[in-house]
Amino acid sequence: MSAATLPSSDVIPAHAPGMISNILTLAWRELRDALRARSFLLYSLAFLALGLGVSYVSAAGTGSLGLSGFGRTTAGLINIVLLVVPLMALTTGASAIAGDRERGMLLFLLAQPVSRLEVVLGKFLGLSGALIACITLGLGACSLVLAWQGGATEPRTMLWLASLSVLLALSMLSVGMLVSALARKASVAVGTGVFLWLALVFVTDLGIMAGTLALRLPVRSLFFLTLSNPLQAFKMWALHSIDASIDVLGPAGLYAMDTYHDTLPWMFGTSLAAWIVLPLVAAALIFRTRSPV
Amino acid sequence: MNANRPIFAPLALACIVGACIGPAIAPALGQEAMRPPAELRDAVRDSSGVEINAGTIGQLINAAQPGDVVRVPAGVYREHIRIDKPLSLIADGRAVIDGMSSGDIVEITASNVTFRGFIVRDTGIDLDKENAAIRVLADHAVIENNTLEDILFGIDLKQAPDAVVRGNLIGGKNLDIARRGDGLRLWRSDRVLIENNTIHDGRDAILWYSQNVTVRNNTSRRCRYGFHLMYSDDVVMENNELTHNSVGIYLMYSKVVTIRGNRLLSNRGPSGYGIGLKETDQFTINDNLIAANRAGIYLDGSPFTKLKPGDISRNTIACNDVGLTFLPSVKGNVIAANNFVDNIEQVCVSGRGELTGNDFAAADRGNFWTDYAGYDANADGIGDFAHESVTLFENLLDREPKLRLLLFSPAQQAIEFVGRAIPAIRPEPKFFDPAPLTKPVPLATSAGVAPSRLSLAVCGLGLASIASLVYVSSRAFAHTTRRKGVVA
Amino acid sequence: MIRIDHLTKTFGKFTAAADISLSLARGESLALWGSNGAGKTTIIRCVLGLLSFQGTIRVGGRDVARDGKRARSLIGYVPQELAFYDDLRVWEAITLFARLKNVARVDLDATLDHVGIPDQGGKRIRELSGGMKQRLALAIALLGDPPLLVLDEVTASLDVCGRAELVALLGRLSGQGRSLLFASHRADEVTSLAQRVLMLDKGKATAEVPVSQFVARLGAGSVLHLHMPEPSRPIAIELLRGHGFAPTLNGVGILVPVPATQKAVPLRLLAEARLSVDDFELLSPRDASLSQENHA
Repeated sequence: MSAATLPSSDVIPAHAPGMISNILTLAWRELRDALRARSFLLYSLAFLALGLGVSYVSAAGTGSLGLSGFGRTTAGLINIVLLVVPLMALTTGASAIAGDRERGMLLFLLAQPVSRLEVVLGKFLGLSGALIACITLGLGACSLVLAWQGGATEPRTMLWLASLSVLLALSMLSVGMLVSALARKASVAVGTGVFLWLALVFVTDLGIMAGTLALRLPVRSLFFLTLSNPLQAFKMWALHSIDASIDVLGPAGLYAMDTYHDTLPWMFGTSLAAWIVLPLVAAALIFRTRSPV
Repeated sequence: MNANRPIFAPLALACIVGACIGPAIAPALGQEAMRPPAELRDAVRDSSGVEINAGTIGQLINAAQPGDVVRVPAGVYREHIRIDKPLSLIADGRAVIDGMSSGDIVEITASNVTFRGFIVRDTGIDLDKENAAIRVLADHAVIENNTLEDILFGIDLKQAPDAVVRGNLIGGKNLDIARRGDGLRLWRSDRVLIENNTIHDGRDAILWYSQNVTVRNNTSRRCRYGFHLMYSDDVVMENNELTHNSVGIYLMYSKVVTIRGNRLLSNRGPSGYGIGLKETDQFTINDNLIAANRAGIYLDGSPFTKLKPGDISRNTIACNDVGLTFLPSVKGNVIAANNFVDNIEQVCVSGRGELTGNDFAAADRGNFWTDYAGYDANADGIGDFAHESVTLFENLLDREPKLRLLLFSPAQQAIEFVGRAIPAIRPEPKFFDPAPLTKPVPLATSAGVAPSRLSLAVCGLGLASIASLVYVSSRAFAHTTRRKGVVA
Repeated sequence: MIRIDHLTKTFGKFTAAADISLSLARGESLALWGSNGAGKTTIIRCVLGLLSFQGTIRVGGRDVARDGKRARSLIGYVPQELAFYDDLRVWEAITLFARLKNVARVDLDATLDHVGIPDQGGKRIRELSGGMKQRLALAIALLGDPPLLVLDEVTASLDVCGRAELVALLGRLSGQGRSLLFASHRADEVTSLAQRVLMLDKGKATAEVPVSQFVARLGAGSVLHLHMPEPSRPIAIELLRGHGFAPTLNGVGILVPVPATQKAVPLRLLAEARLSVDDFELLSPRDASLSQENHA
């Protein structure tokens, strides 16, 4: 009893839209929603306030001696980025899927002619857009304050910092979406996101410190452990982009410079890229098999 | 005995190596230097086998009487010369002496020679023979306004006292640092004046056993040691600018040295000192700008005796990885009226130790610290509390320098916070400034050109416009659809 | 249009749909009828490719499990209650779904008129009433004029008035060559919209009948209304379900659709179980559904 013999099984021409078109449509909705969300506004304001604070204070400190131009401002901004951007991206990503699932929206969306991969990529793209807007707005405002205060930083530095912050944000968004695909409840997902933030920002670094002191870790292990943390990869890359060197990071930094020379930026890039791609792929695979309700 | 070792070891090594490989490579060098005709066997040859004073300038020298002023017209001269009588050799226009990649180029063996205005280029690259652009072997030479390019050693004064080296531009060969020579070298040459020279891409500018030398208004960049003193006493170094070298100034086994008004910026080699002192005595370090080096000032066994306290004052030490590094045993320094500005670590005791033998104030005035947390209620410019450096993270860094890898992380602040919150784990203060200044000491030298404010502002607007572009596109996407497709 | 072969869906140990097979031709309309938990919604979600399942489902000849996106492009789906980003404005929602359904041009006014919510384009979804939301969902389902409408208890959250209007609207829409698959536990909806009925109970198909026989099965228009004390009502419902009836609760008692020849059977069963019945009356299905709403 083959399907083709039955009148009801005649293939009816179907014209679902292409993948790119769907992704863009879904991304647009996600972006629109994110830019209007209150939490996002709060993050943006926090980032802006901290960044402006650092810019103002550091410019006032070294600026009064005419010592601008030695990049301490950048170190302060790197610190702020490390603190705020991962939190923002992780929680945003974590609520992306789980929130929709919990409110039953996912059901209606997936009943439309869209594939689940398109939904994941569309959300990722849309939220990336929102994060990019937040980062560029924050660092753009910082640049203006620094220019007003006396140009303590090279424009090139700010552009590098913004680009690398975006990569960091994408990696954390990706991890957040993996959490979101796994979690049943939005609150659990966001909680896990915050926990991961704590882990990546504080716990792993403190662990590495303890390990280095207790186990006398050789510089090589120390460097690779640190490199595997996307936040640290971002930090090292940012320093490298400014000074063309990470020798400011002491013996382990010098080891990396001496051993890997020009491949270092590629290594930082690989670490961040892996943190962007792998969790997103995992999120897509899990989302494919999970029920939308 | 111990102090002699550093010179004799390399010398001995050089002799041995020279003795072994000298004969082996001699035929090869001979072949390379076949340019002069073979029949002139009685001609004088230099160590690389090139005949000396065989070219145009050489003939001018040979023809000149002692005391003459010899003017060399513009042109390119491919020859090696020796000035063996008191002459003034002066370039008239662009006179280039090309060493043809072999040996030394100019050798001065007579007293009272002036050598001025030449372009000297392309020495050999034999480190054992120390191929130099200009070698001076006599007193009272004046080497002035020359441009030395593509050379192994630049100006080499060997037992050449009372010389003046002024206004020369000395650029090294494009070689690996281990194969480069010294841009400037003094060997047992006292009372030399070195001023207004620029040295770049060489190995060191180094003074060996030379007393009463003045080094001022020179510039050095991308070398190994900007200036290096070995066993050289009564030296004044002032108003030099030493940037992007491995080390700015390194003093070893010297005494009565004054370092004043220099700018030492971005010297970031593996040790990367702005100023390093090893077993140096009776030194004065005043009014320098020391910024963005790996370590601003490094002190090892200095001062060496108790004759005079080490005087480190009125310097601005800013934005270095470490402002001031001490080895544990260092004592007898007075560190006052300096600005310690935003060094990642202001003061470090390498390994574990205390700085109790050093004073961080003189005449009740200490230093300006950007990390000073106190206040000045009576507005006398002195903070009402002493400045103690107690940061747990720095303490960890001093114990385990590898952990610098985690600098600038939020974890660093977390540790500092914990250190402040829990007195039980608060480390002992590293040092103690009883009278910290609340306002910076005025800067003696200018800090350099800040990047353009306009381009930074443009960059800021550019970044902000990306944000607005995203926002606008989020609205436009729907609206274009509406215009195209949806009839509202 | 739809062909389901041996659909089985389990959630852990619970079987929500057991070996269901059915087919729906073009232009035909089929009701999934049963009480809550009978498996109606599960079947619909499987048809939409929202759940993984055993067996095969084809929509327009396309395998839902493998080619879900194209299969869904043939379906207009209206859920029980529209849960969607309620911050969107109506016209934005229409735009969004028009794009997802590859509809190049949409006449917004005509679209909204068609489902009876003219002039609501500028409102946010959250500002719409329940009935309006369902109409918007219907408007979205109709975008691109899909050959198949799938409705899942679309009237469940509406009041009497809204329900009657929506059913009337659906009646008008179903007569236009569209196939219709809908789930309902209301006899009146089934009789006014369906041509055939698949009767479900606890995930199993108990019968597939033309709508005329469905009415006969329901007791040729008879519903037994039993007035009982409140505590014994759940027990009574459980008992009657166990004997193949489909009782529902209303304000003062239980409504039991009964076949023509078995009008007294529920009374007998309850008596045997020593559950007291205070009073009873026999209603037509239409009266019965009205009586249920009045008490709801």
